[in-house]
Amino acid sequence: MSSSIILIDGRTPRRIGCRQVDEISVDFAVELNHAAGERLSEPSLMDVLSAELWRLRRIIAGMGLSASDSEDVLQDVSIQALKQSRNGSQTALPSREDNVKWLIKVTVNRCLMEHRRRRTFRRYASEILKRRLETKKASKPADEKAIVAEELEIVRESLQKLDDSLLSPIVLRYFCDLNSKEIGEILALSPSAVRSRLREARMILAKGLLERGLEP
Amino acid sequence: MEKFCEDIEQMLVDYADGKLSPSDSSMVAEHLATCEHCRMLLNGLQKSLELAGVIWADSLAETEHILIPAAKTKKIRRPRYAAIAASFLLVATASVVWHTLTRPRESKLTFADIERKISESGGAAQLLAAAELLSDNPEAENIVKQQYQYIVETYPQTSSAIKAKSKMQ
Repeated sequence: MSSSIILIDGRTPRRIGCRQVDEISVDFAVELNHAAGERLSEPSLMDVLSAELWRLRRIIAGMGLSASDSEDVLQDVSIQALKQSRNGSQTALPSREDNVKWLIKVTVNRCLMEHRRRRTFRRYASEILKRRLETKKASKPADEKAIVAEELEIVRESLQKLDDSLLSPIVLRYFCDLNSKEIGEILALSPSAVRSRLREARMILAKGLLERGLEP
Repeated sequence: MEKFCEDIEQMLVDYADGKLSPSDSSMVAEHLATCEHCRMLLNGLQKSLELAGVIWADSLAETEHILIPAAKTKKIRRPRYAAIAASFLLVATASVVWHTLTRPRESKLTFADIERKISESGGAAQLLAAAELLSDNPEAENIVKQQYQYIVETYPQTSSAIKAKSKMQ
């Protein structure tokens, strides 16, 4: 099936990752149904959940949850999605875009519960750098690594202490590449309120570094 | 810090993100050329975001292996459900392919029909597996019943619907 999708879509296989294949599969299924003379229907919430799993993982990671907490969050989100799809079947079908926003909203709210309990960003900078060195085989001098570790630790602590009203916008904007309007729709804020929170969050992170000795 | 620096600070994040108008951007750049405090702040903005990106990327690497619960085995401790769901899907797929290959030529079954049936069977099996997971929880009894009902009504032609029907009885 993958090869058919790629041929119809006109893209080369090596440029298509799992994420794109998931998205294309959902669109393709809808198009096939339409081609077969059926009513053009939106993919179900569970289909959207499968296709958008990469994005939810990214949000959870951005919120700094541990692997086991991440697993719990995804489990809760999928159960809520199941219940929602049951409720949704009795009313008008929402659009795919609505489903995506709903999933992001539920995921963000669930992650914020963990953030309020201070169960986020618990992995120390030294662990992060160790893993980074193992995977990327970085070859920086020892003294420079020490400075980076210190700075990384400052940012990690700042992220951990960041108010939840500021954490979710900064993650959605800078790690999930959503714009202020999209973030506002998900968090029930105006785009200007989102921009204001982004400024505040960025300043907290930057000033945290400056106050504790960032080199110019 | 000068009063003017406070005004510039308000624009510095947008400047760092390249979101300022050309005229505002020029004004900030002119100020930065003469103000070390604001230059430091800009450096801090850029560096902190870069470091946050490192932390996020590390966290993402930890979550890459996590599957949605219907497909995972360890956490829910019910590996057989995933296997049952996969079996249903396999049987349904084989059944559809068999019917496609053996049906008379005058039949107008299209690839789209096959695709839809596979999709329906997969969807029904997924929902059934999830409902069976929930069935262990007494509080979810009503939800599970409604889920079975939903499968029967929405995917009546699938093997999962037959199984859901038997569960309801």
